[in-house]
Amino acid sequence: MSTSNQSHEMSQHGSKASASTSEGKRKNQKTSRKAVYKRYNTLGQSSGSPALGHPQSGARKSLKDMTKAERRALQEQKVLEKQDRKAAGLPSSAKKASEQEAHRKVASPKIGSTANTPQSPAPDAEKQAKKQQKRLNEVPWLSHLDPPKKPNTASNTNKDLHPAVLALGLRFAEHKMVGSNARCVAMLMTFAKIIQDHKPPSDASFSRHIQKYLDPHIAYLLSVRPMSLSMRECIRWLKKEISEIVEEDPPLTDESARNRLVERIEYFIKERITVADRLIVENGMQKIQNGDVILTYAKSSVVEALLLEAKRSGYEFRVVVVDSRPMFEGKHLLRRLVSAGIDCTYVLLSSIYVVLKDVTKVILGAHALLNNGAVYSRIGTAMVAMAASDKQIPVMVCCETYKFVNRTQVDSLVLNEMGNPDELVVKKSNDENSSNSLTNWRDVPNLRLLNLHYDVTPSKHITLVVTEVGLIPCTSAPVIWREYNEEFRKGVQAK
Amino acid sequence: MIHSGADSPIFVMATEIEKQADSAPLDPKLFNAVECYHRFLQDPDMSTPVATFKVFTEFIRCSQAPTMTEFLETLRQVGETIQDASIYDSNEWKSLNNSRTRNPHKATIATLAGIHLFNQFVRRNSSDFTELEDLKATLLNGSARILEKAASARERVAETGAQFVHDNAVILVHSYSRTVMNVLQYAANVQNKRFKVYVTEGRPTSDGLVAVSELQASGIPCAAVLDSAVGFILDKVDMIFVGAEGVVENGGIINQIGTYQIALVAKALSKPVYAIAESYKFVRLYPLNQYDLPSIVPDIVSFSTRRKSSSNALDLGENHSVDLAMSNPSVDYTPPQYLTLLLTDLGVLTPSGVSDELIKLYL
Repeated sequence: MSTSNQSHEMSQHGSKASASTSEGKRKNQKTSRKAVYKRYNTLGQSSGSPALGHPQSGARKSLKDMTKAERRALQEQKVLEKQDRKAAGLPSSAKKASEQEAHRKVASPKIGSTANTPQSPAPDAEKQAKKQQKRLNEVPWLSHLDPPKKPNTASNTNKDLHPAVLALGLRFAEHKMVGSNARCVAMLMTFAKIIQDHKPPSDASFSRHIQKYLDPHIAYLLSVRPMSLSMRECIRWLKKEISEIVEEDPPLTDESARNRLVERIEYFIKERITVADRLIVENGMQKIQNGDVILTYAKSSVVEALLLEAKRSGYEFRVVVVDSRPMFEGKHLLRRLVSAGIDCTYVLLSSIYVVLKDVTKVILGAHALLNNGAVYSRIGTAMVAMAASDKQIPVMVCCETYKFVNRTQVDSLVLNEMGNPDELVVKKSNDENSSNSLTNWRDVPNLRLLNLHYDVTPSKHITLVVTEVGLIPCTSAPVIWREYNEEFRKGVQAK
Repeated sequence: MIHSGADSPIFVMATEIEKQADSAPLDPKLFNAVECYHRFLQDPDMSTPVATFKVFTEFIRCSQAPTMTEFLETLRQVGETIQDASIYDSNEWKSLNNSRTRNPHKATIATLAGIHLFNQFVRRNSSDFTELEDLKATLLNGSARILEKAASARERVAETGAQFVHDNAVILVHSYSRTVMNVLQYAANVQNKRFKVYVTEGRPTSDGLVAVSELQASGIPCAAVLDSAVGFILDKVDMIFVGAEGVVENGGIINQIGTYQIALVAKALSKPVYAIAESYKFVRLYPLNQYDLPSIVPDIVSFSTRRKSSSNALDLGENHSVDLAMSNPSVDYTPPQYLTLLLTDLGVLTPSGVSDELIKLYL
């Protein structure tokens, strides 16, 4: 919202005269928000329904139980709320507004001045000191990234959620399920299950209610672990599908709408992930020759499939698996490659330049391919790609087109995922009291550990991208994103 | 499915390659792809992908395949036959001692481009039809339109390319390329620009000498330089024009041997390198390095035949140059980072723009 618009609306609602300084504006917002709350309360009382009291009172009657008058009152109240929010310069949707509100509440004590919140009980001095210490241990220029989260399974806020989502959330949070393809497929399957099981309330049709019903599930998944870029892209696609179902004319019956959504999800998984992987393997095979020494980093499901297929086709080649702390994902790949009878070498990232000497190709996986041709992938990928391109070794990235995202990022700091810094501390299992300088790192002032999950590889280090539509240079990512998404949508509709 | 047997036209075509052109004439009713391909290539102004495309058109006209499946299958086989023939040709041409007679049609990559283009064209159309005759009619109509457009492509390239030539420019040209010749002649004769041209000799074919005489005939001052003198002459040069047999997915080009070296030297001396090509030479290939091309890997890459290579060094007899041409590659791959721009009939493209055009064409 533009500033002029904001002040105009504010003055309309009879708040204090708008001042041009930002200080004045903040004050204005506060006063108008207070006015909003007052109105909620009065409205609730006048309509004579205690359930319509404060919006955060929680125990609300379900829509089914209300009388017609009550429902109308609720609707009117919502409209008013929306207007007031608009006037106060908050986003129009209730969800976003409450998010902002919550954010502000969380942020305000962090900023420091506790004097601003006199109504809160006097903070425990010890707690405060601990907090202070924790902040010292955080990397200051990455405070915009969420710290690693722990799912709260106990709280009753989750009781409306589908059990499948709770189970999935746990597996995400504990890193039991990793890898963008696996996470994406699992998420979509869970959503399909939710859609299958969902019974809309009697006064709402399935297609109108499902979106609202899914939102808290998505929010829950977000709250346990940040989503990968490709998962966000999938959710965007799913929401578009849902909105198309609502627009369908004549309206679909609940049953057919449900079936259509589930079918579409299955089709998406099949076309964009399962079949895509098979095609990527097929396309990637063109570039594998006898006598190759292929270097790969960490673990990617599609790279694994490609290497296994190459072995099955009888190519003679050697694989160098490069791995790194703290995840050691390469070990999983290594185990499968070795059991398939492939000649393997296993090294850590620090020895990359030593092993690059006789490598002929580097094949990597990706979490997402950005619009500027950069690859967003497991941390360390950028180093591998840079070292290889320095040695003039072709770097191939295997990436399905559903991972192409319309987003540009030039460094790894704007968006990333923070891992648990304790993972960097080497724990010797047999000796608890070992004198490791890192074991008590939280107590050491001005010592910070940083464990990021991803990095961005600039496009100049990538020779080609293997996708299901063929081998393309990474600079063509936006064209594929535009053209192929269009094509897929048409294909789905034609089906 | 296809009826296979000695009298099937496909079988005849396949054996034909082995016998090559001087075998006894075959049943005229049967379509002979290789012969047709060679006939089209007789025309010195015919570009290889266009010739390939024309062979397919001829085939559709003659085809008596009863079903859709068989029709598409035979089309595929025609493609393979032509591809084999082009590989055979390039070897055949090398082995004959004809280094002074210019053979512009040795391009395996260009043939591949033509085949890919036609296959894509068929794939686009084949899903819309259930009747074979309808499909054939549509394909013939469509290919006539494409050929018409292709015929004017070289002119449009000349217009695009000539704007890069300025007065008093000194241009280095690698060997002989019809598109480059067109650009230079357009700049000199239509736009009346005055410029000088150096042409590399282009061993082992020495096509560059042909280019020199052609340019002199059209009144453009020019001189031939040895392939090994490129570094020496490049200081005096303002820009470099090279043709292309094929333009690959990442915007690199496959062209007559020596192009890569020139591009490397030009990069070191920061001179612009312009690749000039018609858009029908774009091909969905993605070579990773020099040895990743779909032609036969030349002998010199591996030292497996030790005796042969040593005899090569000692033998200074009659067949010396022929042997060298045989054991050496005829094309090389220039990666996109060494090209400044591509001048095409679609306009001026950066190397990464090629892939965007290809995706639009093939998706």
